Amino acid sequence: MKKKDRSRLPMLAQTGPVSVWMVLFVTLPLLFIIYISFMSRGEFGGVVYEFSTESYRTILDPMYFTVVAKSFRVALTTTLLCLLFGYPLAYYIAKKPPEKASRLIMLLMIPFWTNGMMRLNAWMLFFQMNGPVNYVLTHLHIVEKPVMFLYTDWLVNIGLFTNMLPFAVLPMYSSIEKLQKSLLEASYDLGADRKKTFFRVTLPLTFPGIFSAIILTFIPALGTYTVTDMLGGGKVLYIGNIIKNQFGAIRNWPLGAALSVLLLVITALLIFLYSRFAGIEDLEVV
Amino acid sequence: MKKALATGLAVLMGLSVMTAGMTVTASADDSELNIYMWGDYISEDLIADFEAVNGCKINLSYMSDNADAVNKLTAGAGSDYDLIMTCDAYMESLIAGGYLEEIDTSKIPNAEANLNKSYWTEDLRGYCVPYLMNYIYVVYNKDTCPLEEITCYNDLIRPELAGQIGSVDGARNLFPIALVALGYDPNSRDEEEIKEAYEWLTKYNANVLAYGSTEQNMVNGAISVMFTYDGNTAWAMDQMGEDNPLVIAPFTEDPVQLGMDLYVIPKGALHQDLAYKFLDYICDADVMAANLVEFPYSCPNDAAIEAASDDYKNSPAFDFGYKTNIFFQEDVGDALPIYDQYYQMLKVG
Repeated sequence: MKKKDRSRLPMLAQTGPVSVWMVLFVTLPLLFIIYISFMSRGEFGGVVYEFSTESYRTILDPMYFTVVAKSFRVALTTTLLCLLFGYPLAYYIAKKPPEKASRLIMLLMIPFWTNGMMRLNAWMLFFQMNGPVNYVLTHLHIVEKPVMFLYTDWLVNIGLFTNMLPFAVLPMYSSIEKLQKSLLEASYDLGADRKKTFFRVTLPLTFPGIFSAIILTFIPALGTYTVTDMLGGGKVLYIGNIIKNQFGAIRNWPLGAALSVLLLVITALLIFLYSRFAGIEDLEVV
Repeated sequence: MKKALATGLAVLMGLSVMTAGMTVTASADDSELNIYMWGDYISEDLIADFEAVNGCKINLSYMSDNADAVNKLTAGAGSDYDLIMTCDAYMESLIAGGYLEEIDTSKIPNAEANLNKSYWTEDLRGYCVPYLMNYIYVVYNKDTCPLEEITCYNDLIRPELAGQIGSVDGARNLFPIALVALGYDPNSRDEEEIKEAYEWLTKYNANVLAYGSTEQNMVNGAISVMFTYDGNTAWAMDQMGEDNPLVIAPFTEDPVQLGMDLYVIPKGALHQDLAYKFLDYICDADVMAANLVEFPYSCPNDAAIEAASDDYKNSPAFDFGYKTNIFFQEDVGDALPIYDQYYQMLKVG
């Protein structure tokens, strides 16, 4: 018995701290959110600890379906943009010698050294009516009057895209970098041209990276609220804004918690789908 | 390489989390005063002077919404904060719920002497000290506004103003103007009336370009009409120079909202003596007059206005004729969830 205990010690020492950390700061808060979602709203907006399914009945309102659908559309557009621009970028970086690649990745991350709100404000200054973009456009006579870029869907998409791009590029880069050159050579030797090799060899083998990129961009984009608040002018609410409002201005914590659970379920479904179709062990985070 | 990548991704995620929020921790030391209020709303010199005179440290933490302060108060904030800023609309509930310390006005002689009693009313006096006030009114750019003149809230839903309006946000700021426009009580508790107000607001929403940042949008020409605070207007007028084209809408009958930001002492606050000293300090005429230079909002302190600079006294942002045709945001009690529900419907579209 004693001997067995001793053999467990190294394992406990290795996994213990992180397990305690995860239980304390991930599992318990999550369970608490699920618990609150089944409670009632207090008179002053606090949580009253009485069982209620009202929050979940509220979510069944078609209004929330519209919001979820809208949030999906924005998150999907962002993800597609990230893949479309991120994959070639990741490919380009992966084909560089390691030292140069490191430097390029550093360049990709430099904007993240500043506060996210600063980056959004920069976008707003850049695109405002008397900002530099409109100045150039009007002075080159491309447009007669300044164009209203602010508070449009495409600016929201650009904001989300730039915020998420590194999260898409890094896992795809890692996948592409691991790709064995000999497999590509074999493909050429067997008569496939570059296009065929890309679609039949490169793309399928880097699919785990692509799927990680999808998960790492789609899920945060689905729940985001600062970008949509600032660049969208607060006129249209997405699921993230609604959750934020429940914990802030509207003070309906149980409903906010129930909506968070809804987001969790959607996320879990996505990962489940991945594990079914691609095998969870392939999930390429880095 | 892989390790560098992993570190990179971890740093990236860490940064995202770190920039998401900052908190200030409080301790029970007697030389500290913990205040929770709006950011960028009190002069740093004023804070530094108070610290120097009283040999203490003021810890300021900032809220992003009135609801944050109410959340803190109702959750029992006494151990964390000595003063919290809230607004008149919540006072009835907060007093009824027993979340506030009673205020002994004899310990704040400056407030007794200087504050205008028509704002610091009998009902409020025992529980709060007003700080600054703000009118929420309509302002337009006479050069670019498609309408000749705006004289009532109903003008705001005219189709000519599509995409022209910048507006403050929040259920309790938006619904009152719709209720007034429809001829109802701005603090109505009647669901039918609130529903009608919601329908009015859907037309208003269609004309709104963006909520928030009204003054910046006005200055950079994105909008021609704004429904905003007087302080924001003062800033915009200042930015656009002496011959600025901004006009405070000459309302004829509709009343405008006057909101008050006030300090309360949460139940069980740890440093109440220092809190009283601070309240008395900010009610001093010269101290508040200096604060008004930086934050030129409407002020309930008559003596401070008297002592204020000519710039403040002659500010065009306060120069309008219907200053007494006002309504206050009152506590709507049980009707608040109804407002919230229709507000959400409005925003979801």
